[in-house]
Amino acid sequence: MTDKGSKKILKIIIPYVLIPAVILAGVFVFSEKAYAWISLAVAILSVGLFYTTFERKKEKARKIVVIAVMTTLSVVGRFVFAAIPGFKPITAIVVITAVWLGGESGFLVGSLSALISNFYFGQGPWTPFQMLAWGLIGLFAGYLSAPLKKSRLLLSLYGIFAGVAFSLIMDVWTVLWYQGGFSIRLYAAALLTALPYTVSYAVSNVIFLLLLGEPFGRKLERVKIKYGV
Amino acid sequence: MSEILTLPLRSLKSLKRFEDYNPIAVFVFFAGAILPAMFCLDIILLLISFAGGMSLLFSLKGKAAAKSLFLYLIVPIAGFILNPLFYHNGKTVLFLINDTPITFESAFYGMSAGLMITAVLVWFRAFSLIMTSDRLLYIFGAASPKLALILSMTLRYIPLYTRQIKKIRMASKAMGLYREDTLIDRLRGSVRVFSAMVTWGLENGVITADSMSARGYGIGRRSRYAIFGWLAFDGLLIAASAILCAGVLVGAGFYAFGFEYYPEISAVPISAASCLCYAAYGILVFIPVFINIKEGLTWRSLQSET
Amino acid sequence: MEIVTVRNLSFTYPLRGEKALTDISFSVESGDYLAVCGGTGSGKSTLLYMLKKELTPRGDLAGEILFEGKRLAEIGDKDSACKIGYVMQRPEQQLVTDKVWHELSFGLENINVPSNVIHRKVAEMASYFGIEGWFEMPVDSLSGGQKQLLNLAAVMVMNPKVLILDEPTAQLDPVAAVDFLETVARLNRDMGITVILVEHRLEHVLPQCNKLLVLEDGRAVAFGKTRSVISSLEKNEQVLAGMPAAVRLYNSFHFTDECPISTGEGSLWIRKHFSNRDPRPKEKVKRSFAGPALELKDLWFKYGRKEHDVLRGTALTVYEGEIFCILGGNGSGKSTALSCAAGLLKPYHGEVRIFGKNISEYKNMLWGRELSMLPQDVQTVFLKNTVKEELEDSGACESLSVYDLKPLLDSHPYDLSGGQQQLLALTKAIASRPRLLLLDEPTKGVDTYTKERLIGLLKQYRDEGMTLVIVTHDAEFAAQIADRCALFFRGAVTSVDAPEAFFSENNFYTTAVNRMTRDYFDGCVTLDDVKEVCEKNHD
Ligand SMILES: Nc1ncnc2c1ncn2[C@@H]1O[C@H](COP(=O)(O)OP(=O)(O)OP(=O)(O)O)[C@@H](O)[C@H]1O
Ligand SMILES: Nc1ncnc2c1ncn2[C@@H]1O[C@H](COP(=O)(O)OP(=O)(O)OP(=O)(O)O)[C@@H](O)[C@H]1O
Ligand SMILES: [Mg+2]
Ligand SMILES: [Mg+2]
Repeated sequence: MTDKGSKKILKIIIPYVLIPAVILAGVFVFSEKAYAWISLAVAILSVGLFYTTFERKKEKARKIVVIAVMTTLSVVGRFVFAAIPGFKPITAIVVITAVWLGGESGFLVGSLSALISNFYFGQGPWTPFQMLAWGLIGLFAGYLSAPLKKSRLLLSLYGIFAGVAFSLIMDVWTVLWYQGGFSIRLYAAALLTALPYTVSYAVSNVIFLLLLGEPFGRKLERVKIKYGV
Repeated sequence: MSEILTLPLRSLKSLKRFEDYNPIAVFVFFAGAILPAMFCLDIILLLISFAGGMSLLFSLKGKAAAKSLFLYLIVPIAGFILNPLFYHNGKTVLFLINDTPITFESAFYGMSAGLMITAVLVWFRAFSLIMTSDRLLYIFGAASPKLALILSMTLRYIPLYTRQIKKIRMASKAMGLYREDTLIDRLRGSVRVFSAMVTWGLENGVITADSMSARGYGIGRRSRYAIFGWLAFDGLLIAASAILCAGVLVGAGFYAFGFEYYPEISAVPISAASCLCYAAYGILVFIPVFINIKEGLTWRSLQSET
Repeated sequence: MEIVTVRNLSFTYPLRGEKALTDISFSVESGDYLAVCGGTGSGKSTLLYMLKKELTPRGDLAGEILFEGKRLAEIGDKDSACKIGYVMQRPEQQLVTDKVWHELSFGLENINVPSNVIHRKVAEMASYFGIEGWFEMPVDSLSGGQKQLLNLAAVMVMNPKVLILDEPTAQLDPVAAVDFLETVARLNRDMGITVILVEHRLEHVLPQCNKLLVLEDGRAVAFGKTRSVISSLEKNEQVLAGMPAAVRLYNSFHFTDECPISTGEGSLWIRKHFSNRDPRPKEKVKRSFAGPALELKDLWFKYGRKEHDVLRGTALTVYEGEIFCILGGNGSGKSTALSCAAGLLKPYHGEVRIFGKNISEYKNMLWGRELSMLPQDVQTVFLKNTVKEELEDSGACESLSVYDLKPLLDSHPYDLSGGQQQLLALTKAIASRPRLLLLDEPTKGVDTYTKERLIGLLKQYRDEGMTLVIVTHDAEFAAQIADRCALFFRGAVTSVDAPEAFFSENNFYTTAVNRMTRDYFDGCVTLDDVKEVCEKNHD
């Protein structure tokens, strides 16, 4: 068989046979924790799928670097604002990147920021979920690019939404993993304990988006025009 | 990381610590060790897992690992105390608080779940210690070169940017353009610094990008300069991890072991099959320590020969 | 064989009225070493960008650029990447990956060379450039000179035919700079690689290159064999200012023999034409100083708890109304000492006193009026979107500058040339007219003509009572401007002296004039010194 042929078959076997088989086997094996297993598998797969499509595209060096730059900025941003407790610009930067450079860049910057932050704050089974959560925040911001660019109000709303959504997604996983099944009570308890955190998170998102949105947008625009990213 | 230049198999013998195995093999091992711990809520299995993970931490960090031992034990204890406050299933009521029953089963479940979290945390800790950035990049590079490149750049940028941020703040300060007296001052100052940082990052990033294209990035397929060699031992590690892990999982699937928590705690009775599963998992999680001890012995015997 | 040919090349950046390059033509033969020189903003970098298609910026381009007889745009991507190597001005920017070995292999990976071949080539280059010792280090921990060498090696693994370098030594100390240029010359000599190099400090380049291209305001004013170009320059003050000391000395007399280019030739030339009856220049008037302006007392500093000491007992006194220059190797801790002096970094031991008061007594009142500092990395100073806003930000105006910034007011600071950025930052730093001004390498990337105007301005400030502390790699500049000079070594000041004595005793940290006149005249360090002595000894 030719090399190309075997690759083609792999391309069919992996997504349509291997992956479903593994997930099903997992459901069977981990009967108690089937939901946790499925959600983890889905998180990893959806992030992985996104990267595979990105990998296939022919990308200009400049775009690659801009993604690396924005990711770094979102990771080191917390050092800049260390003087103000509870302020972390990750989400704001993910959203700004997505609005100005598109959803794909948003997803990449979001998921990579999560991955890289965790080098410093500890990797764990939550890593794929954080990657997915921040990635999706970026992806949707990319879809809503036009209205978000125009209205500061919408931008702020999106900031609040992102803060809450992040918390929601993360807690689903916590509950599933801990409890085996989904328990509304536990979920509510988890949400409640995280509430002050979620609120401060949403507020700081709004402040950051209002403060940084415009000037950063202009900078990204300049790079787009000057260098054609 | 002395073996950056691939050495031939012969000269290495088995003078190789677990950390020095090919990162892909090490990665497969970790997946095999973590997967059962993450999804099988069986207290014996979890104890084995915790012991294996801690032994690896000890061999990596020495005494410093002892300190973290207590920290890790807090989680199951917290589970034991807190879970019954939220969850009231179970037959064996210990006592009532405000008319809500506190059950033994729920407390026991909390402890098991806590142990599960702890075991997974210990493994991830060991994973982070071993998988330094270049190892991780090697793995990512095999799956997605583009992603690996972005990661590699980001890892270079983080210390660079952290320094640059300090420099920008100092530069503004030195010209009398930056104050830190009030919270508003600080916020304004930080935004100013961060905004300058974004410009700097983007402009310099574009130059880096040009330097990449100037050296041929993006003209076609890339090859990869693999700095981690691949030896028979690595294949062995992968095979062992995969087989042992699969064995444990099959056992779990057929209820060779496992716990039932509600309404009453009941374990699958100990049988030959369950012993086999525990043994398989036990061997699996102690592989790294075994490798490291063997390395120590070989080295010592080599020393005494000469 | 002509390897690079440029015909009637013109280029305009978008949103800029004037052309950056106007009607430039020249050609380079295989094996040539072409040096390109010209004033700040004269278009040198722009010209080099045109020769590498991956780097060519957006804008209006007219004319023709041929590489090996083919139009540049028509050359395959792979050929272009391999055959033309480019080393940029700032070593930091062009490093891509986080490890030395990966940086070396990066180019080869891009053109899909198999791993074992990469291994061989990388190993060879690493030993040629002496990189073996730091092969596995993170690039972050390298010194400036090492980074630049790595950049060169990373380009050389691709086996280029042409090597283009844009002010590669601007950030290097004199020893590292000479080493680097030696390496480039060796590549040209031994491997026959064609070199095109931009430099402001031509002292070491001119003796090595065989062709010279002089740019002025985007036009080629001279091109040809090095010696013939130099002899045609006689009347052009601005360009002549950038030439080596020997050439400038030759041009201030009217001899008809061949113009000396290197320090060695210059030395012979002086001995041939002048006696040394009266080998000393006039005693300089010793300025008297008032009280101390800046005192560093036994400073110890390190950047992290586990890192090594960067300052090890730095002690230093600078008096009010003097210009004090600090020289020293890359990474010796000069910038760190300056930041400590400005109160930006806090040493863990020792005391900093400014105008007799401990620095902590100033609280926030220090920066701006009392003291101001120009950092080494000038891009840290830029916070706005146009040059005009930048100037307004610190209350400066363009008339303060020694360089004409007026045509650039609406440009983005990052769209300026390297030297223009340097001068803009300098203007910002001096705008508040502080009593104590600290400058970290203020002349890097600035052409000699502008530098001389800068010397005038700074001296004028000094005479009005300002105290200046200047860190610099530029011995010529220090010799002309300093009242006293100090050498920094491993975190401490090793010797302090008036420039005449200071430079006469050093072998490497000294001026070309001093090297040329050593053992013949006494205590000549600047061009004016040697001119004066020569006139006295002219028969
Ligand atoms: N990206 C850009 N956009 C617009 N104008 C630019 C850009 N880069 C340079 N210029 C302008 O083009 C002219 C030539 O710049 P260039 O960088 O080629 O000068 P240079 O000779 O290299 O100077 P230096 O010695 O200071 O490096 C300058 O006036 C500069 O302001
Ligand atoms: N922000 C920083 N964090 C950690 N280390 C640093 C930092 N800045 C400088 N260093 C280290 O301190 C040492 C001295 O650096 P410094 O910049 O003071 O040297 P320098 O004499 O100014 O060199 P150069 O001539 O290259 O400017 C170097 O080894 C450098 O790597
Ligand atoms: Mg330039
Ligand atoms: Mg310095």
